[in-house]
Amino acid sequence: MKKILLMIFFSNFILSELVLEITQGTEDPFRAAVIKFDGEYEITTNVDQIIKNNLTRTGEFTILDNDDLLSIPNNESEIIFNDFKILNIDYLIIGNIANDYSNIKAEYQVFDIKKGSKVRSSTVFGIPNKNRQLAHYISDGIYEEITGIKGIASTKILYVTQNKEYRLVVADADGKNEQVLLESSEPIISPSWSPDSKKVAYVSFETGMAKVFIQDIASGNRELVIENSSQISSPAWSPDGKFLSLTMYQDGNAEIYILNLINKNLTRLTNHYAIDTESSWSTKGSKIMFTSGRSGSPQLYEINLRKSNAKPKRITFDGNYNAKGSYLPNNEGIVFVHRADTNFQIALKYFDENFIRPLTESQMDESPSISPNGNVIVYSIKEGGMGLLSGVTLSGAKFKLPAKEGSVREPAWSGFLR
Amino acid sequence: MTIFRSKLNFFIVIIFLTSCSSMNVTEENVYSEDIKTVKASSQSQTTENISFDSMAVFANATIYFEFDKSSLTSKSIQTLKSAVNALKDNQSIKITLAGHADERGTREYNLALGQRRAEAVSDYFVLNGINKNRITVKSYGEEKPVAYGQDEMSFAKNRRVEIN
Repeated sequence: MKKILLMIFFSNFILSELVLEITQGTEDPFRAAVIKFDGEYEITTNVDQIIKNNLTRTGEFTILDNDDLLSIPNNESEIIFNDFKILNIDYLIIGNIANDYSNIKAEYQVFDIKKGSKVRSSTVFGIPNKNRQLAHYISDGIYEEITGIKGIASTKILYVTQNKEYRLVVADADGKNEQVLLESSEPIISPSWSPDSKKVAYVSFETGMAKVFIQDIASGNRELVIENSSQISSPAWSPDGKFLSLTMYQDGNAEIYILNLINKNLTRLTNHYAIDTESSWSTKGSKIMFTSGRSGSPQLYEINLRKSNAKPKRITFDGNYNAKGSYLPNNEGIVFVHRADTNFQIALKYFDENFIRPLTESQMDESPSISPNGNVIVYSIKEGGMGLLSGVTLSGAKFKLPAKEGSVREPAWSGFLR
Repeated sequence: MTIFRSKLNFFIVIIFLTSCSSMNVTEENVYSEDIKTVKASSQSQTTENISFDSMAVFANATIYFEFDKSSLTSKSIQTLKSAVNALKDNQSIKITLAGHADERGTREYNLALGQRRAEAVSDYFVLNGINKNRITVKSYGEEKPVAYGQDEMSFAKNRRVEIN
């Protein structure tokens, strides 16, 4: 049970919200019905629809249209299990929302139709005028109940947009509720979350050269992580949040360093005349993976941080371009940008397999970021020269988040927030 | 394409839950969503102290590269030779070398590649007697293309070092 200080905040509204399209689902989804939540109009508006969209987007659910249901129960006593059984429905969700002093109190129940019983009864205390967030919490509770896996509807995605200006934007995992963290006339690249999802690190060219900044999301306070005369890029947080790995150029070549965020000590990790960049940490923080050109083409390498003076070990051998790798949360494999022939695709490789699994099939797929539950990968694609975000679940569902205007790229998925 | 691997774990979780209790009861609070927007103020482009005569030599001097390469071509070396002479004739001139890459490949790798290209040009200047203190090297990677097409002609125009 979590107790978090509630604060009301009126967000900045901007127009270029992302629109969600589901392009492909899984073969054998759960069938579920979500009844409109009982309660006053203002506080129940859209909640059921957002829940339906969230569950559908996972690719693991088919949500029945309420017009196709035989009965619409408003509470537990009105449920006629047979009406749902006939329609081959697996789960039924009902709920109600009420004002609770200055908060919003949502109660919902999940019924297993085949068993004919209630399997979950939950309460979520929300913030007034934040129906969307409340709906995301409820979605995640339902998803976790049914699949046994933590849901990601209440997580956030960070990305860069370019229209007239460059913007660093944070949005709900469904692409809605966009809020701007940084606006600049110069490029912003490589955004990354702190493990507690309270800060972001990114590369900004605002000083005329690539530099790494850390920004506190709530306060907007930001700092240049290292002040020197050369460029610095590619920040990645260690899982404990105490270190930031970076690419530094002071020797004229890209080398990876680890910055201790507490005492600002720098430790050099790579030393090679070829490019070394795009570092990322394994889930337990014991290994760092990076892209290196030392073999003649970009390939992924790994350094074991537990061994002193450990040599980088090459981990990709198929394809002429393997870059920007990240570890699956369960550390069973890696996701990266792969080029076998001419197209750049997002690919997955499990450590216990000796082949690469391509996950996408367009020409210029980039910047894969894995959801904290390890089930979904969001990445950027190019269509007609414009950057768009796209997603693929490991169960095979695909979705797209096209921007209404401007170009969107470099998505980075937050950790769990609930 | 079904590559869902955690089926086994998934069943264990369900069995565990159902064997403990027939129903899960939970209560939680949503987190605060406070966000503050920051506006980055870009530093005005530093105007280099270049005399009008030498400007004519340096304006639009651009060196081009092959894909994923930072080696100088013979054509590039011709351009650089005249630049070296101009730098020797005008000892007060300082230059900035900005490396760029085409859009193919990852952004950070391209940033590093742009830097390598700028360093290759810098190395040529230094080898030919230009003091390194007169040279600033930086990269924009693929962030500042001059051609926007998705074809080899545009890509070739973007793989460059601009000498200013």
